[in-house]
Amino acid sequence: MVQPEQPAHPSGTAHRSSLDEVEARLQAYHQVGFKEVLGAITYLRDEGDAVICGGSLTLGLGNRLSDLDIVVAGQVSAESSRIPLQHWVSSLRVDAWKLHRDALGELVERAEEALDAEGPIDGAFGDIFEEADLKLLHRVAFGILIDGTELRYTVSRSYEAIAGDLLVREYAERARSVALLAQIALAAGSWVAATSHARLAVRSALHASLYANGVAFTGDKWLRERIDAAAPALVDTHEIFSVLPATPDLAKTFTLDAVATVERLSKLDLSLAALAGQVQFDAGDLRLHAVGDRWFLVSLERDSLWELTSGEAETWRRVATKGPWSCVGDDEAAWVLSFDLSALGLTKMRWARGLPVAELAFDQVALT
Amino acid sequence: MKAVPSGAGRYIWCQSQLVWLNMAMAARLEDLEGAFSANQSGLTRYSAIALGEDCAVILALALTNEKPLPTRSMRPSWALERIRDHPLHDECWSLIRSFPADRSNGEIREDCLKLVRAVREIVGEVPDGLTNEGLFPGVALARDWNKMVDELHQESFFPKEWIRSAAPKSAAT
Repeated sequence: MVQPEQPAHPSGTAHRSSLDEVEARLQAYHQVGFKEVLGAITYLRDEGDAVICGGSLTLGLGNRLSDLDIVVAGQVSAESSRIPLQHWVSSLRVDAWKLHRDALGELVERAEEALDAEGPIDGAFGDIFEEADLKLLHRVAFGILIDGTELRYTVSRSYEAIAGDLLVREYAERARSVALLAQIALAAGSWVAATSHARLAVRSALHASLYANGVAFTGDKWLRERIDAAAPALVDTHEIFSVLPATPDLAKTFTLDAVATVERLSKLDLSLAALAGQVQFDAGDLRLHAVGDRWFLVSLERDSLWELTSGEAETWRRVATKGPWSCVGDDEAAWVLSFDLSALGLTKMRWARGLPVAELAFDQVALT
Repeated sequence: MKAVPSGAGRYIWCQSQLVWLNMAMAARLEDLEGAFSANQSGLTRYSAIALGEDCAVILALALTNEKPLPTRSMRPSWALERIRDHPLHDECWSLIRSFPADRSNGEIREDCLKLVRAVREIVGEVPDGLTNEGLFPGVALARDWNKMVDELHQESFFPKEWIRSAAPKSAAT
């Protein structure tokens, strides 16, 4: 079925700069304008293609050391570069990608499929090149056309709406994962892991809240600046959890408050009881070996070995011998072992399903 | 001549990972400088946390020769646990913990630069791949380490899609 064509860059996006504003920043920081930038990438251009700038400088963020991301997309190029070509225009670093517009179109279609799928977003885009492509999607979706012909795609919604939903879902799923890890770290007595995951869970939920409210992609590192500029009502939530407690005695309160905050922002039930049946731990080729009265976990793939206590070995035999396992809500020994293995990088968490955007209910945030 | 303190493959894997992380700190340092110049407190603190984590992980790899590395979110606690008796533990923890609003961006920047200098005194300097002068020396260094890793049949610090055994799909068509 042929869908009506949609512009890739609908006007009126919240918190995206105008072309003039971006150029004024380039002038202020580097004394260059788009004319010089376009001159540096002329060799990449074909007739009729679109030149789009993206990244922090186009989002009202960035500083004098920020690079400018450029995407050149058209129908002539036969190949798509997946690693940017680096250029210098005076003191401005310009990273440029040359893409065939069909490659972008396929990426958007894949994004829509991932959004419709039951499985988690994490890993849905395959290898690292496809993950890099996904970042390009955001650059294009939230970027600004500098020159050439506006990209139009035969997808059901705007590029920006698809990219925005993808971000909401990705950060909500990330918040769920790290909120779980924060709680089981607490159970395992690893207070630094508990609090650092708790802070990360709040940050992820704040990201998801911003994108659910239509704010353009920010990137992890710009969260506080983005909140300051776009959603000051979220500043206090960010600040409360921005500094980890100095001592273990405050870790439990900090962690549980953070998880409660993520629940309030996302309306998700993140209690261990609720999450227990949704996640499995996969330890790959780890196998338990008894040698006399000692117990060893061995991974040939990882060329590594760990010694267990008899209690840990007993828990392993009870929950992990038959492959990927789930923990029952109140089985603390199983949760602790699962955390300890995750903390060593020996397990992967596998969620039974993702968090479809339609099931998420982030509060409306007043945007400035 | 000195022997390495673990199996050859494991030692080279850990060393290559820490060199790669050391090189990647250039981007963090650039973020820190940019944030400081624009008085961006959020980015200053974000960069400081990341540098604290990176420095802790680099030291942990150098001290323990332990593999594998856990996922990124696990690394701060993993690394701090392994460097708990090291003189730079508190400096790493201070950055990872982050700072209240009354700590100035300039003070945080100084803390970061001091820690990175101290860590590099231990594990060595690396080229800054974000500069014209450092780009090719950085690529050359990474290639040297990758060849060594390959020789010892260890997993590369490069993403697996970058290495010769895995041509990207676009190159195959």
